[in-house]
Amino acid sequence: MSSGRRGRISDDEINELISKLQALLPESSRRRNANRSSASKLLKETCSYIKSLHREVDDLSERLSGLMSTMDNDSPQAEIIRSLLR
Amino acid sequence: MARKRTARPPPPPPPNPNPNRRAVASSAAAVPASASGPGSASSPSKRMLAFHFLRALARIHSATPVPRRSRTIRRAAYSSMARVANPRRVWTQALLRQVRVRRAMRSRRAVLLRRRVSAAPPTATPAPPLGGAGARSNVSAAGETSVAAAARARGGPPPRQAGEPARADALRRLVPGGSEMEYCSLLDETADYVVSLQAQVQLMQNLVDLFSGQ
Repeated sequence: MSSGRRGRISDDEINELISKLQALLPESSRRRNANRSSASKLLKETCSYIKSLHREVDDLSERLSGLMSTMDNDSPQAEIIRSLLR
Repeated sequence: MARKRTARPPPPPPPNPNPNRRAVASSAAAVPASASGPGSASSPSKRMLAFHFLRALARIHSATPVPRRSRTIRRAAYSSMARVANPRRVWTQALLRQVRVRRAMRSRRAVLLRRRVSAAPPTATPAPPLGGAGARSNVSAAGETSVAAAARARGGPPPRQAGEPARADALRRLVPGGSEMEYCSLLDETADYVVSLQAQVQLMQNLVDLFSGQ
């Protein structure tokens, strides 16, 4: 960081980053936090959101693996995969 | 020098005799186009994500035994994410490093197994218990992220900055590579990571819908 500043990131920048993060969170939590954008609350929301996304990835991986095993090589799904990657 | 516009809207898919091909590709990667807000991934990167992930899936389908598939698919999801995202991001590099470590572990484990099997006769050279113990300690070290291990070797996490809330530690644990970032970059990286995660989840959800609908 340039030494011209006070050597610390300005509060404005942090607030901007925080509101950018807030915009990414799903609608329901955004409405609740409309005016009480305290950083700590936002971080808590973000943590739980990321955890729920991780859980979704795990869950979807399980489902995909189950679906894949029911696929045999001649099914339409296999054909789709093959045609997409040709 | 004039700067070229890199983001051109993709041309509409030409009509082709197999309508399934294009329709499936675009539907799997871009269905919730209407839901794109200011922070969502661009559609070319969503297409790239679909390509990488589907290629990994095809490989898994033909090569991986069934009981290990879901774990492998999950790992393929994270490495597709990391491969498609901006390679200069810290979280991207951390994820890719994990992939490399895991691959090295796998080959090392294979070598050790072979050694142990070949050293089965008791009169042979002492089967390397050290090697076994070494591998085990490696495994536990690679259980946590390699970045965290490297950070500890470097003498601890960066000093907490003034005004950084206590919750930031929990966030650091969730974002790959987060243990080394400063607070400001942590927020930035988190936003990028969340966008990628959302795109990946969307893609997987679309694929599940697609495959279970048939």
